[in-house]
Amino acid sequence: MPAEDSSVPSDSRALHPLTAVPLALVVATAWLWLTFEAPWQVSVPWVPSLGVDLTLWIDGLSLQMLALIAGVGVAVFIYASTYMAGVKGRGRLFSWLTLFMVAMAGAVTADNLVVLFVFWEMTSITSFLLVGFKYQEEANRKAAQQALLVTGGGGLILLGGIVLLGIVAGTYSVQEMIAGAHESSDHPLLPAALACIFIGAFSKSAQWPFHFWLPNAMAAPTPVSAYLHSATMVKLGIYLLARLKPAFGFLLFWEVTLVAIGATTAVWAMVLTLRERDLKRILAWSTVSALGTLVMLIGLPGAGAAEATAAFLLAHALYKAPLFFVAGNVDHTAGTRDINRLAGLARVMPWTAGSAALAGLSMAGVPLSLGYVAKDLVTIAKSQGLALDWVGHTTVVVSVVSVAVAAVAAVRIFWHRGGASLPADIHEAPPGMTVPPLALAALGAVLGLAPWLALPALHDSARAMMPPTTRDLVGLPDVASTATVGPFQILALGLVLYFAWDRLHVWMDFLRWFDRFGLAAVYERGLKVIPATARFVTTRLQHGSLPGYLALVLALPLVAITIVLLRHPAGPWPAWSPPPLGAAGAAALVIGASLAACRLRDPFVMLLITGLAGIGAGIFALYLGAPDVALTQFTVEVAFVVVVAAVLLRVRNRTPAPLERMGARPVLALGLGALTSVLVLAAAALPFDASMPRYFGDQAVPAAFGHNVVNVIIVDFRALDTLGEIAVVTITFISAVPLLRWLRTRRKGTA
Amino acid sequence: MTRTAVLLDTVVRGLYPGMLVFSVWLLLRGHNEPGGGFIGGMVAVAATAVLAVARGAGAAEARLPLGPVRLSAAGVALALLSGLPAIAVGRPYLTHLWADLPLLVTSVKVSTVLVFDLGVYLSVWGALGGVATAMIGLDEDDPEDPAP
Repeated sequence: MPAEDSSVPSDSRALHPLTAVPLALVVATAWLWLTFEAPWQVSVPWVPSLGVDLTLWIDGLSLQMLALIAGVGVAVFIYASTYMAGVKGRGRLFSWLTLFMVAMAGAVTADNLVVLFVFWEMTSITSFLLVGFKYQEEANRKAAQQALLVTGGGGLILLGGIVLLGIVAGTYSVQEMIAGAHESSDHPLLPAALACIFIGAFSKSAQWPFHFWLPNAMAAPTPVSAYLHSATMVKLGIYLLARLKPAFGFLLFWEVTLVAIGATTAVWAMVLTLRERDLKRILAWSTVSALGTLVMLIGLPGAGAAEATAAFLLAHALYKAPLFFVAGNVDHTAGTRDINRLAGLARVMPWTAGSAALAGLSMAGVPLSLGYVAKDLVTIAKSQGLALDWVGHTTVVVSVVSVAVAAVAAVRIFWHRGGASLPADIHEAPPGMTVPPLALAALGAVLGLAPWLALPALHDSARAMMPPTTRDLVGLPDVASTATVGPFQILALGLVLYFAWDRLHVWMDFLRWFDRFGLAAVYERGLKVIPATARFVTTRLQHGSLPGYLALVLALPLVAITIVLLRHPAGPWPAWSPPPLGAAGAAALVIGASLAACRLRDPFVMLLITGLAGIGAGIFALYLGAPDVALTQFTVEVAFVVVVAAVLLRVRNRTPAPLERMGARPVLALGLGALTSVLVLAAAALPFDASMPRYFGDQAVPAAFGHNVVNVIIVDFRALDTLGEIAVVTITFISAVPLLRWLRTRRKGTA
Repeated sequence: MTRTAVLLDTVVRGLYPGMLVFSVWLLLRGHNEPGGGFIGGMVAVAATAVLAVARGAGAAEARLPLGPVRLSAAGVALALLSGLPAIAVGRPYLTHLWADLPLLVTSVKVSTVLVFDLGVYLSVWGALGGVATAMIGLDEDDPEDPAP
């Protein structure tokens, strides 16, 4: 846990030094791509006993993800340098962002699924820290907790899926899985393994029904939202599915699940978008929708789908990240993200408006933009694939709402002259916050005008998502040459929706009715169950009554051991042999003292009598030839009686309740006594294995130079055990010291 | 401590050192006769407890060498260290070594076992003696905190 930044809460807008990390990653990625023929592999043994190797496998898909992580990373770090100027904990944010970036880069290059999982979890944890960055506000803490519980819970299921997949395929290496995919395709565990993987990926990538956490995670600072929740982390689930597609994509189960869930998410998220007034939440829902489209594409078979996945991944990152930056700029200068209160900002924020326009064109899929190229490919993929019938219609809904959302983000708040009244002193954001979105959006625009610049990389990426046998991309359509049906109709419909946005908003309110059924409601209820359960358990078990604790501690073994004894009856009774007279006398002393203790009322006398029972047990051991046990028993008994007597003499205000009012306690005591007797008899009935005592007896003098076998065992043969025991005694005492000190001061206080 | 019984005090004056000597004797003979570090340590604890009853917990605690916590920790440390010489001569940790220490005409057997057993003795004395004095001293006005 990093401490609060003690360094100056610097007002500096200077580039944070950690920006060097994403920059270095950009350079490394470009160098890898230009120098080496992908795929490229390096392997280091890590946990060989578990078959876990630190193998990096970098192919087209990894390179594309790395480029997104590094490229958007640079923009985010530059943006955050200015955005977080003067904010307390600026350095903390950058450390976590860097950690997150490293985790992402690790996850998309790991070949071993276990290694990938480790990085995957690392992104969940850093994301928790980043979402809860402004932890002083309760809403942010709740959002961070929700993001962690949903993605972390999904991560647990994913781990189960990975282990199952490892059993099915006999390896954790993705490339080996792809190579042997058809041999494991009828393994009975495969559906369960894939179902677990799906749940993990869906929770990470905010697919229905886990979609609810992503808009809530918008509590994070804007650079974090732009990085984690649009460009990178939420794409990790997509990445995992794309990574496994060559191995399992041919299964009908794969296709139906991904297409159905992906299409459902894409549409439902778009419908939910219409409810929102907060610019960031609007963008978040449209991100969920885009993720749904990606999942659906990964479900579709064929080369076109892979190509479309790669193109849409790139296009989405290049328009959604700038739009988040734009939302951040607007929030930063106008102090609100409520679209009702924003209008006509283009006059004062020309650069921000420019990037919003460029990104918005791409998002709306206007011809000659990268978004158009991607949407074209998506449409082709759907027509190629054997998509479910209804899925074809979802594209229209998604595209139309996309146009409307793009118009809201890019047109409404900048050019619309509404009745909103803004503060007078609004000004353009500083360059550190206008350059990154502009650069990303401009890159998108360039690639939209000249898609062939990106095509080689996209082809590499698409090839990695296809089985090795079908990796020739013959028959891939020429990008942007196929005239698809009605891009202009969609644009027109989208604009209609945009103008109807406000009226629709009121109307969409009925959707709240659905909130009761979603996983979000289940989550809320589940969250309340945890403290309630804890309270129940605590009040029942941690009640503070010493007799209650003792009763519980004694009753549990009584019940448990009785059950075991009843299920596995012990052998025959041991043969009777008359005890030595001294032992019989000692036993009589123990029994007599115990009975007397039950009848006595004075605690002091009672203590002395129980001490007598202890002495009797010592004498008993003495007559059975165990002088060391007897000595130990005597000394412990004496020390105990002296200490407790001293305490009792001072606190003589408690007399035990009479036997008649003790309830079930006598029953418990008698039961435990009977059980112990039975246990001793049962142990005696077992044949005695003399090999250990004989060994110790034979070896004590020659090996350890001691005649007292018991002591030789304690200090020599079993010296390590003894060492552990005295360490426990000492640690227990040290832990008890504060308690004892507290008791003393409390008594002093009340005296 | 206000109610110091004169009789008890007089008895303890002789009893306390006697019990300690007895405890050390138990410790030393342990390897060949009944006794040993734990039993010896318990007798020492009893001695401390008796002293605490007679003279007050603070006084008894002050008589624990190093104070209870450090005494106990020193015992564990001693037992830990007693296993090291074995490593030095290439045997597994805690293999005990013996040597004859020539002493004029006779010779005395010394061993790492004795160091180990002394560690057991000290840790038991420190820890349980500390608990005993703390319990007995619960209502004492002694402002002196138990030693850290």
